[in-house]
Amino acid sequence: MAYEPRGIRVNRTEDDLVFAGAARQAALMREKRVSPRELVTAYLKRIAQLDGRLRAFITICRESALAEASRAETEAAKGEWRGPLHGIPFAVKDQLDTAGILTTSGSALLRDNIPPDDSTVVARLKAAGGILLGKLNLTEFALGGTIRFPYGQPRNPWNPDHDPGGSSSGSGIAAAAALCSITLGEDTGGSVRSPASYCGAVGLRPTWGRVSRHGCFPAAWSMDQVGPLTRTVEDSALVLSLIAGYDTKDPTTSHSAVPDYRAALAAGAKGLRIGVVTELVDGAETHAEVRSAVREAARGLAKLGAAVEDMSLSFVHHAGGVFMALCDSEAAGRHRLWLGTRPEEYDTGTRRRLIAAGLIPAMSLHRAARARAVIREQVLSALTKYDLLLAPTSPHPAPPIASHTAPVTSKEEAARRFFGRRSYTTPASLAGVPAISVPCGFTAGGLPIGLQLIARPLAEASILRAASAWEKAAGLASRRPSLVDLPAHA
Amino acid sequence: MADLGPDDVQRLAAALSLSLSAEDAVEIAHRLNAFLDALAALDPLPLDRVEPWPTSPEGSA
Repeated sequence: MAYEPRGIRVNRTEDDLVFAGAARQAALMREKRVSPRELVTAYLKRIAQLDGRLRAFITICRESALAEASRAETEAAKGEWRGPLHGIPFAVKDQLDTAGILTTSGSALLRDNIPPDDSTVVARLKAAGGILLGKLNLTEFALGGTIRFPYGQPRNPWNPDHDPGGSSSGSGIAAAAALCSITLGEDTGGSVRSPASYCGAVGLRPTWGRVSRHGCFPAAWSMDQVGPLTRTVEDSALVLSLIAGYDTKDPTTSHSAVPDYRAALAAGAKGLRIGVVTELVDGAETHAEVRSAVREAARGLAKLGAAVEDMSLSFVHHAGGVFMALCDSEAAGRHRLWLGTRPEEYDTGTRRRLIAAGLIPAMSLHRAARARAVIREQVLSALTKYDLLLAPTSPHPAPPIASHTAPVTSKEEAARRFFGRRSYTTPASLAGVPAISVPCGFTAGGLPIGLQLIARPLAEASILRAASAWEKAAGLASRRPSLVDLPAHA
Repeated sequence: MADLGPDDVQRLAAALSLSLSAEDAVEIAHRLNAFLDALAALDPLPLDRVEPWPTSPEGSA
């Protein structure tokens, strides 16, 4: 699909450095062609220039990041390397605990919350040499549907009047606008994949249990999963290799060995069996430009050697409603006390969402739990025939922010706004299987389109090798949002 | 099933000791009715042949 980048970049060399993938930056660091302090400083400068408008960050750890960069630089000069991310700046969704640093989960209720310890994923990135640059904005309590963001309205880097996706909004923005090297988000029903799709980034939801959730504020325990949001598939593989694996602090984590996901990329898409989910690709809700881009990607993967054919997941259109009932009722239970004692501190959209789910009759919820099992069975059954399922990440490109801040005026509108698009990402969530969103094109208006690939449990390597092959063939990773003409927004 | 109205929602919320503004009750009624419709649509499905277990990282596929 044709796309012409807008705007002018003033400093091409610095632009190339900040947009380079973390794997490339790490290699440059080992070659002494860039230092940790140079990289951290470049991102801090970029954040100062752009984030007043994009609002990706809630907290910027400027002083500690510079101190860590100096330490990393001293160590590198002595040939001491902590790990694959030595000197690489990262930022995480503000749903993840960081020792001694404000962690709000995007809510005014937690405006004073400073956890004593790091979440396991943050500790693992630090142990690999990563430098925490800041905490990223999100929809309140990672639930989606926030109307007034207490820490600033996050905006899409490709068009600031449009939604960046959620709930890991800041992670998607920071990855796409190159405000740090790598980010982490959390995906319950699409919260990593949706911002990846809307912002033109790569977002991976790992298998449920592949990555520790210790220190992550919960939305729905049986679906929450931390995952990377990055600019390249290679970086996604790099980050997953570092954060995956059993954690004594999270008993739901898998004991399975963690493969070298980057090494798997070389295998490409050849020989993979891919099923195209016709209900999602050709459904009435799917925007014509999204359908066209996703079909083009399917043809592209076939040219790369995959065996691609159409298939059906007949229950998939129930997934959005089933997911929302199960996730939101669980979240309502978690928030029960605060909803009674501090309701005015919630965003209006969050409060209404939680209370509505809290009033669903138990008999209906039990049916939803059984429907989840049926959807799960259908997804897993399909994945015995196919290595990957292919679908759009979202039925449409990023909508205008104004389109979802107005009050809900009918049950039909509620179903359309809250259930419809979620039927695209929640089948993987309900089934507990891994899924990725990788860019597959742009609309005529210049908004990114995301391709979703879904695999069987613990088969992230299959997803990553297909996504990497497609990414290279499509050449979309080199496209950058023009950020110079962003209007100033509060 | 007849749709629930704001007054119904106020009574249900009161049973949980939650007090709602009139504006909240109107929108929550729309949202709750959307849930009830979506879950009623599950009734024709063969749901009794499966157990409602959630997930496992060592899944059987």
